[in-house]
Amino acid sequence: MTKFLAILYDSFLEIRNGKILYLYGCVVLFLLMLFTLIPNVNIMGEDVLNSDFLTPDLVAKVNGYFFDGYWGFVMFLMVFGTAWLLPSYLSRGRIELALSKPIDRFSLLSMKFLSVYLIMLSILTVMSVPIWLILSLRLGVFAWSFFYSLFFSYVIFLCVFAIVFFFGVLSRSGALAVMGYFVISVVGSILTGREAVYGFLGETVWTTILDTIYYILPKLGEMSDNYTALIAGDGLINGFAIWTSLAFTAVIYLLTLLVFNRRDY
Amino acid sequence: MNNTASAIQVTGLSKTFRGVFGGREVRALDDVSLEVNTGEIFGLLGPNGAGKTTLVKILLGALHPSAGSGRISGHDMAKAPARAKVGFLPENHRFPQYHTGGQMLVCYGGMAGLSQIEAKRRSDHLLALVGMAQWRHTKIKKYSKGMMQRLGLAQALLNDPEIVFLDEPTDGVDPIGRHEIRAILLNLKKQGKTIFLNSHLLAEVESVCDRVAILDRGRLIKTGPVSGLIGTKPAYRIELTALTDDIADKVKAKYPHAQIEQNAIAISFHEARDVNGLIDLLRGRNAELLSVTPIKVSLEESFMQLIRGNVPHD
Repeated sequence: MTKFLAILYDSFLEIRNGKILYLYGCVVLFLLMLFTLIPNVNIMGEDVLNSDFLTPDLVAKVNGYFFDGYWGFVMFLMVFGTAWLLPSYLSRGRIELALSKPIDRFSLLSMKFLSVYLIMLSILTVMSVPIWLILSLRLGVFAWSFFYSLFFSYVIFLCVFAIVFFFGVLSRSGALAVMGYFVISVVGSILTGREAVYGFLGETVWTTILDTIYYILPKLGEMSDNYTALIAGDGLINGFAIWTSLAFTAVIYLLTLLVFNRRDY
Repeated sequence: MNNTASAIQVTGLSKTFRGVFGGREVRALDDVSLEVNTGEIFGLLGPNGAGKTTLVKILLGALHPSAGSGRISGHDMAKAPARAKVGFLPENHRFPQYHTGGQMLVCYGGMAGLSQIEAKRRSDHLLALVGMAQWRHTKIKKYSKGMMQRLGLAQALLNDPEIVFLDEPTDGVDPIGRHEIRAILLNLKKQGKTIFLNSHLLAEVESVCDRVAILDRGRLIKTGPVSGLIGTKPAYRIELTALTDDIADKVKAKYPHAQIEQNAIAISFHEARDVNGLIDLLRGRNAELLSVTPIKVSLEESFMQLIRGNVPHD
């Protein structure tokens, strides 16, 4: 436990030292000010923010759509915030020190992964809960189901971070880690709409190949559809996307461990 | 090679770096076997690219060997327990710049298994020992090279290790600092610690090491006590007021390997007392002796001879 706490402390100091924290802070501050200062709109003699029109269901849906977009943006920032961490950790002159400690390579990398993941979850929470609180206060309705979707955003970030982590270990470059993540993310998104081109392709080997790639790759876009459903109290609506993405995460994480274990530093 | 008093045992260690996409192979270590005894200061010498750092990195788990095996304190070097009581100061280290000196020591102490309280207590003591106590709360990015080395040494000693690997520990340190570091190393030896020292500074190795190994192009070409390397035979330089041709001829006739200089003779013997025979010969010829000075071959000269192949490899 002391070894994990030491790595957690080191990761915390490293992330705190990064300038991207200021960007996270600015985003939250901007949204908090926006939602606090946004004027109430009066339509036909009735204040929109206090009207009966704002039912809990509607507020939940508004929350869902807002946080779907917001978390997409925050995770985009977090990819940049975390991509350079592992290449820096693996840099010459630094990794030798970590490897000389009595920790096996699997544990060392797993502790690093877990510590950065936990810190980023804390940041994600700090960037989300105050905004939800302000929105709820302004609208006068507290959609508590928001916390289900917040928890679900942790699951999505697990997939995102595992991909960034894998490319970080493989390439030892922050830029390549970001690029690797975006290639997988974009290809996955494009393949979601693959059936649109099947009409042109017909039943060919290409449809099988595209289907296979689609099933293998994580479905980050489809997973985020669950935010709205969760906040609206509808539960998870696309289990297939979740389980296949989690399976991909597990496999890519094991691959990361394997690469790290075999590498010379 | 199965000595329980051995702190480090290496058997047939080889390392070949393979180029990407079938590029040129580089054999960094070639069938290296050596043994470091508990409680000694062991120096590893060699020119740049000899494989010194590769050997240390393999011992500490940063590189995988291509062949061979090694044990540290009786444990397989590839396993984590082998590093439980080991301290390491790497060459060209890059300590995290976002840490202060104190934070870094607490972090690395924790990774070595120390509790936070113990790591803090040890770091206070060690920072004072290496003369860095007043810089404890300063960010590492503001440290000079010498300060980084001192901090690195403190880091290497944090877990009270039984074996300390030091790769160029005095690199960038001023002469006073070097003297202090030498004193620390000798004090560690007194405490029974084993020190594995990798250094280019041969005078430094000569002054602190009990035994040395010399690596050249990945091969171990010599291992032994420092005293065995720095002059295997007693040698002298005898100065005279005047060295006549007659005396020089007589000396050459009896000691063909003697080097005759202007008013001086340089000569080595199998035994130190043999010099008396030459002195008797000179006095018998009425030569007036000014001085008889022992000649000491420095480790540097011995090292250079070995590397250039002037001395047959053992």
